[in-house]
This record gives sequence, structure tokens and C-alpha cells, in this order.
Amino acid sequence: MVVITTKKPVDEVLKVLKENDVRSLVVVSCGVCAALCQTGGTEGLKKWTEILEKEGFDILVGIVSEDVCDNRVMMKDLRKIDDSVKDADAILTLSCGLGVQSIVQVLSKKHPNKKVFVTNNTEFMGMTERIGRFRMRCLGCGDCLLNETGGICPVTTCAKALMNGPCGGMVDGKCEVGNYERDCGWVLIYNRLKAIGRLDLFSKLREPRDWSDSGHQREVIFR
Amino acid sequence: MAEKKIYSKLGEMISKGEFVLTGELEPEKTCDLSHTIQEAKEMAPYVVAANVTDSPLAIVTINSMAASHIIQRETGLECVWQLTVRDCNKIGLAGQIMGAQALGLRNVLSLTGDHTNLGDVPEAKPVFDLDSATLVKLVREMVDTGKINDNEIEHPPTMHVGAAANPNADPMEAEILKIGRKAEAGAEFIQTQVVYDLDMTIEFLRAIQKYKVPVFLGIFPMKSYGIAKGFDMFVPGVDVPKDILAKWKSVKTNVSDKKEQKDTYDQLNYEFFKPFISELKSKNLLNGVHCMAVHYTRIFPKLNKVIKG
Repeated sequence: MVVITTKKPVDEVLKVLKENDVRSLVVVSCGVCAALCQTGGTEGLKKWTEILEKEGFDILVGIVSEDVCDNRVMMKDLRKIDDSVKDADAILTLSCGLGVQSIVQVLSKKHPNKKVFVTNNTEFMGMTERIGRFRMRCLGCGDCLLNETGGICPVTTCAKALMNGPCGGMVDGKCEVGNYERDCGWVLIYNRLKAIGRLDLFSKLREPRDWSDSGHQREVIFR
Repeated sequence: MAEKKIYSKLGEMISKGEFVLTGELEPEKTCDLSHTIQEAKEMAPYVVAANVTDSPLAIVTINSMAASHIIQRETGLECVWQLTVRDCNKIGLAGQIMGAQALGLRNVLSLTGDHTNLGDVPEAKPVFDLDSATLVKLVREMVDTGKINDNEIEHPPTMHVGAAANPNADPMEAEILKIGRKAEAGAEFIQTQVVYDLDMTIEFLRAIQKYKVPVFLGIFPMKSYGIAKGFDMFVPGVDVPKDILAKWKSVKTNVSDKKEQKDTYDQLNYEFFKPFISELKSKNLLNGVHCMAVHYTRIFPKLNKVIKG
């Protein structure tokens, strides 16, 4: 699994930095998912350093970190460059949204006023088809239906995330969203359940998704 | 089995096993319903009820519940209030069902709704908290048990709920099994997508007979060659047969007198749909016809002959 990111326009990032009166920066680049998406890693750090220096920003230090999203790793890596973190106006993060928030959380005690910004948009949890092509196949809804839908998720493959599809927007197995170019998720499920001899599951009337646990910050604690 | 309750004229005709003709009204992006009311008046003598659409193609129109209420109040024509799950969550839908009851609506058609992405407000959040089957179930729960989520409704709604079906769907079996879910949820009638292919329609209707839900076949008589061509080109999944298009085209080309042209189109529609419907009726596959040709109310006297025949 990879958290898929794409690059924000450079001007958007520069505008945010200028609006926040940022002159000096620490740059933290993710060496895992963002590296795979070419939105971070060593290459990303190099490119952003060039851009920022050309714009007159002062880069105090730039690091590539494994698991920016792991609070423990981040704590260790930031401790090593604490002087720069202390002096910098802000930290610029080449990661997903988890990475940014991990840094904010890790710095919350020692540097609670430190500004942290991000260069990327976080797209989805992605399945890697090949480098450069990722697909959203899981939303992390917390109530997995895959055992009943032939291993194909209606929440992400159906444009309407319907529990009882296909809808009237399906034509020749394709979906009305995207000009009938993408497969209808429920036809994929139908074909798959037919292939494994479980059309009885396709006939089942499914209850709506239960959203009652979605109104608060979700977390998993297993010990 | 408890006796089936009847809440509307449509419900009564279904219950008596009478062959039904319903029409369709499509209120537009306006707060003035005078055009729709005029069309409702024109079709009222021929139909038992008319569907009132809910922002089709996700293009914003006047709210279908308000429009249905006003049409019923102004014309006396019973409405089939179309409600999609696109724009409201379960709380909103349940509230609307009670509101519709208070406004005198007694038939609702449960629909998924075209995706927000297709319409004129593509940035809107697509809701789809329920789907077309679970909305049927919600209506039936509120009507039959007088409760929602086990909580008592002081004056519960009393209305009939229908669902849609698409005989043109490919793969057809996926659609048939989905109809099974809608039937299980409690759909009391089915209105189909527009059809032109008799053999495919027969195959589909035979396959869904086992669910024992009355079926009204969706038809679209074509007012002109332009309409026929547009329908063929722009309505996904529905093909108007080439020979029909050719006949309609020849009217446009060869009949110059406007009145004669209109009469010819009307006659051609009659000649096409008469044997089509008769064949399905003779096979006991139909309980009614749902005419979706909006802005073509002059066809209703002829359609009436089609279904009576």
C-alpha cells in the first residue's frame, strides 16, 4: 500500500510561504510513498531546494526521512536537526497529509508555534499497477465488504459508492461518470461473483453503510 | 397475508389489475410551474398519474416534491413524486417522505439519480447515503410499521413506492438480480427505461415476472425527427431502431404542411407502439405503460387507443 500524492502547483506553495512571512526553511522529504510517487524522496528534495533557493529562501537543512508518518521515526530524525528546526521560520514537507500532521504532532510540545507546510496533495491509498500508475481501490471505510463482493470494492469502484448496484447510469458495463470510459464497479462485481459461482451474493439486498462511527477522529488501539 | 392497503388512484388501479397509463412531467429551472401545469391539464384525461422528475441529469430544477404538490393542487392530476438518493442522506429523505405525505403526495418513485458530476453543479457533494433499493425499504418501513429506525412516527406516511428498471441493461442478468433486490425491499410497481426492442423487452419482462411486481413499460413516442435523432444520439444505452429513424426522417423531408406533419408523426407513433404494446399485453407481461415523452401531450388520445386496444 502506498499513500498516493501529487504535486501542488509550485506557485501555490510559494504563495503560502510568502503569505506566512517564511524566509528560512527546514525541508523534510518522505523517502517512502512520496519517493515512489516522485513527489518527495531525494529527487524531490533536490528539486525543491533549487526552486526555493532561486526564490531567495534560506534552506537551513534538508533531509530525506523514512516514514515521515511514523511519529517515532520523525521524532528521532527531527531531534538530530533540532537547532535548524528551532531557527527555521517553517518546515516544508514533501509528503502526504499524514507526514505533515505527524511533524505537527511530534513538534507540538517542544516547538508548538512552528509552522509546517506541504508541497503535495494527498490523493488516496493506492494500489500500484506500475510506477506512475496507481489506482484507488480502498477507502478505509472500516467495514470491509470484500468477502461478499468477490474481492472488488463497491465503495471505490462504484462512482456513487452504492451498496445495491448497478444503477441506471451503467451502459454496456461502463459508468456514466467519465463519459462511459470506466468500468461499472457493480458489473465488475457481478462478473467476478459469477466467475466464482457466488451470484447468490449479488442477489443479496445490502443495508446502507453505517456512518455512526464517522463523526469523530477514528483511531485503532490494539494494545 | 394482510390485505394490501390502497393510498392512491394508481394504487387502486394496480390493486384491481387494471391496465395503467402514466405520463411524465419535467419541471424546469423555474419557480413558475405554469407550463408544467398546462401539460398536466392536457394529459390528465388520459393518464391515472404523472411522474414528476427530480433534477434529471443532475441539472438543478424546482424541487420535485413542491412541484408534485402544486400540480396535484392545481390540476387534480395525481403525481408520482420522483425522489433520488443523490441529494439527501437518510435523515433528509425520511423528512421529505413525511413532508410529501403532509402535502398530499401518495406515490413515490425511488431513484438513484444521475451523478452530480453530469449536471450543472458538478462541484456538489454526491450523497448516495441510501440507494434506490434501500430507499424503497425506508418508505415501506415508514408506511408499514409507522416507524423509522424503531422510533414511532406520530402520523406516519401512507403512500405507494415504486422503482425503476432498465430492460436495455447489458449485462441484463445483473439488472434482473437488482430488480430482485428492489422487489425484496418492497417495491410495489416498476417503471422501466424507454424500450424500442421488442425481443429484448420480452426476454427482460419474462425474467422479472418471478418477482411479481407490476411493471409499467417506459415508452417514448417521438414528436419529430429532430427529437427522435436527439434521443438516439444523446440518451445513453437506448438506440432508436434505424428503420424508425428513416420513417421519421422521410416525414420531415416529404411532408411540408406543419399540421399534416404533426398528424403523420402521431400516426407513425401509433402504428409503431400499437403492435408493440399489444404483443406484450397478449403475453401478460405488462401492467401498464409509462409514457416519458414530455412536451408531447397531444399524443395521449392516440396512446389511450394503443393501451385500450
